[in-house]
Amino acid sequence: MSSKVKAEEEKTSKPESLITLLPEEIIIDILARVPSCHYQTLSQVSKHFRSLLASDELYATRSLLGCTKRCRLYVLLYNRERRDDACFVAVSPRIYMFGGDQNNMALSIDCRSHTVQRLPDMPVPMSGTVADVIDGRIYIIGDGGNYVLEKVMVVFDTKSQKWESRVIKPGVELGDTWSYGCVVMADKLYTRDDHNSFVYEPKECKWETDEMLNFQKWRDACVVDDVLYSLNPDENYKLRAYDPAQKCWRVVKGLEKLLSKFLGWPYTVSYDLCAEISLETHQGGEIWGKIEWFDHGIFYENFYFRKSLAVMV
Amino acid sequence: MSKSEKKIVLKSLDNEAFEVEKAVALQSQTIWVMCEDKCVGNEIPLENVTGQILAKVIDYCKKHAVVDGDGDESSEELKNWDTEFTKNMDQSTLFNMILAANYLNIKSLLNLTCQAVADKTKTIDEFHTFLNIENNFTPEEEAQICQENLWAFDD
Repeated sequence: MSSKVKAEEEKTSKPESLITLLPEEIIIDILARVPSCHYQTLSQVSKHFRSLLASDELYATRSLLGCTKRCRLYVLLYNRERRDDACFVAVSPRIYMFGGDQNNMALSIDCRSHTVQRLPDMPVPMSGTVADVIDGRIYIIGDGGNYVLEKVMVVFDTKSQKWESRVIKPGVELGDTWSYGCVVMADKLYTRDDHNSFVYEPKECKWETDEMLNFQKWRDACVVDDVLYSLNPDENYKLRAYDPAQKCWRVVKGLEKLLSKFLGWPYTVSYDLCAEISLETHQGGEIWGKIEWFDHGIFYENFYFRKSLAVMV
Repeated sequence: MSKSEKKIVLKSLDNEAFEVEKAVALQSQTIWVMCEDKCVGNEIPLENVTGQILAKVIDYCKKHAVVDGDGDESSEELKNWDTEFTKNMDQSTLFNMILAANYLNIKSLLNLTCQAVADKTKTIDEFHTFLNIENNFTPEEEAQICQENLWAFDD
């Protein structure tokens, strides 16, 4: 078949795609105007579209067009039958997942297009990971190593999307951190095991114990304005706050009625209450909580709550 | 300014000539720059735009021009006119309008036509047919993406 005939045939069977005539910035302009709820579908149109929908240019155009950002709350649930000890960190607009089950897999989930991307493998396989982010760098602590397991820390740079080559061995004896999690306050990383609470200062690469933080057995904590909040089931469900600047623990007031509903937490299925609490610091440092709303979560029987992540999209 | 100086002739790719008010034509940044350069006379050749498309672009520019007190259309009316303008355009006209608006650098027309395409295409099939894009995922890749999306999100 001569090339001319072939070309003719192709012309009749497949008309030329008009969008390929458009400059890339115009394709992005068009995609930016499509409501983001359609992005998951659109990412299946073609490879080119998939890469455009994950591009920062698209979201820069969206903000220029005045598309409003929204905060989405993602709730991570655990399957009781499959103990999976990966960790998840939100760095808007993405959620990152690292390791678990002595695995070196790392993923990022783009919460705007709801697409998953495989990241470069972790420098060492890890399990029982906890992680949090400081200035765009995610610090992941867990049991790592190819032959002998030991506590290690690795760092993923979200800006360059690359791993830092060094595998850091903590200068302190860390036990089971996975059961407690870790948080970041004022650019320092805090974690704990069954006995101690630790603080890591990335600038000086220095590990220390924090005696005052260790005064309460905090776990699954969250941080608001560099203050840690933790609900302690052993203490009649009081919401406690730790301010590292003042090195002091306080009980958040005004929540007694709501927190009395947390019966049996966290080991029974009744832990399914979700609430939004706004916080106010009064003179003298007292912290008062106000319940904006609360509701029962719809968690399935075989799943239990692990973590909630807020992502701006 | 004499009457002839206020008029300008736009010549399309297929040699159709359109005489328009300068204020109408100058909404195009490209034409504005050409006029500023003074390297063209009263006749401006537009080598990337056909007569059929240019006629529509001129319609748009006339509606949006503010000429000697003619620009007193309410913004609501203008918006409705814009909607009607793109409503029944077929795929190829709309794309050629985008290309023309881009080449002529008429920002508001580009916005309007891009929005029109975005409004008309929301599903995969619409994108495949409307934009004539070939789905270049292999069946395996497609299955993998569906799987990934499935476990991650189920909207």
